[in-house]
Amino acid sequence: MAKGRELKGRIKSVENTRKITRTMEMVAASKMKRATDRVAAARPYALALGDVLARLVRPDIAERFPLLRQPATKRRVALVLLTANRGLCGAFNTNLIREARARIAELEAQGATVELHIVGKKGIAFFKYLGRAIDSERIDIGDRPSATDAASLIDRLTDRFAKGELDAVYITYAKFKSALSTPPATEQVVPVVPPATQGTPRDFLLAPSADVIVEALLPAYVRNMVYRALVETVAGEQSARRTAMKNATDNASDMLTLLKRTYNSARQAQITQEIAEIVGGASALQG
Amino acid sequence: MAGALQVSVISPEQVLYEGAASSVTAPAFDGELGILPMHAPLMTLLGTGTLRVESTEGLKRFRVSGGFLQVVDDTVRVVTEEASAEG
Repeated sequence: MAKGRELKGRIKSVENTRKITRTMEMVAASKMKRATDRVAAARPYALALGDVLARLVRPDIAERFPLLRQPATKRRVALVLLTANRGLCGAFNTNLIREARARIAELEAQGATVELHIVGKKGIAFFKYLGRAIDSERIDIGDRPSATDAASLIDRLTDRFAKGELDAVYITYAKFKSALSTPPATEQVVPVVPPATQGTPRDFLLAPSADVIVEALLPAYVRNMVYRALVETVAGEQSARRTAMKNATDNASDMLTLLKRTYNSARQAQITQEIAEIVGGASALQG
Repeated sequence: MAGALQVSVISPEQVLYEGAASSVTAPAFDGELGILPMHAPLMTLLGTGTLRVESTEGLKRFRVSGGFLQVVDDTVRVVTEEASAEG
């Protein structure tokens, strides 16, 4: 029964694979839960900060702040690309890389030199393979990015923007719209685009002056934008991995049904044949 | 006393405290600042130090650093870059 044994081996192997993908699915689901909680927990801060800046930033004060400077031409820009450190999450990394490449092509068509700063092994590996120069790479930001990680990632770039060495900084990340939709997106980090004002303006006692407050809060706003991109990307990665592993588990189950059916019918056919042989042999003896 | 303050302490990572309080003492950029109900609308930068919230469940302390404090209509928002609960 050579075919039967072969099938048995394949059944075992698919079963083992299914155990792995099912476990990964469950791990990703629980990590995703935690990551989405963090996305939700980061929202009040972003709202509060955006609200205050919207009240204080007026077009007429823009040129006094380096982070609001609007360069006439973009000669040298930086693109920060966030990807995952690990694979097995469907097209998640590929989508992010594709978005980044489209943006780079677009910016270069406008005559800008693009610096590439990548977070995550997958993005680094891809651009190394392409042979493109990478200006900085980081793989130390894990499943739980902190505000400190965001600061260490962006502060150097905002400083260089303030000094005039860079004309814009963009970030490409996975926007976490819902567990099923995490499209890649690119946002401009600096020059800061102040959020639109909501509600009625009120008179505040300001201490110290509005200028000093804006000056202190703009870097915080930039850092928060990057922090939000980091947590959303982690949540997106986990949800992409959960979906990919769920599909893999489902496919393994389908394959198992088919293999088991083939195995059983082969086994049945063999038994029937053996009975026929015995019956045939017995009647031959009697004959 | 005319009502109580609605206080929220927010850091980039999470909301550390949200609830009613009778007074708030915050480390502003130029020294300690006390907020009682009926305070005028105010926005100020924070320094580094201990934020004390006199809440209904007793005194709560937080270490804060940077960020700002905003008071509007007895709602106090402490938005700080670094915050952690203290004993």
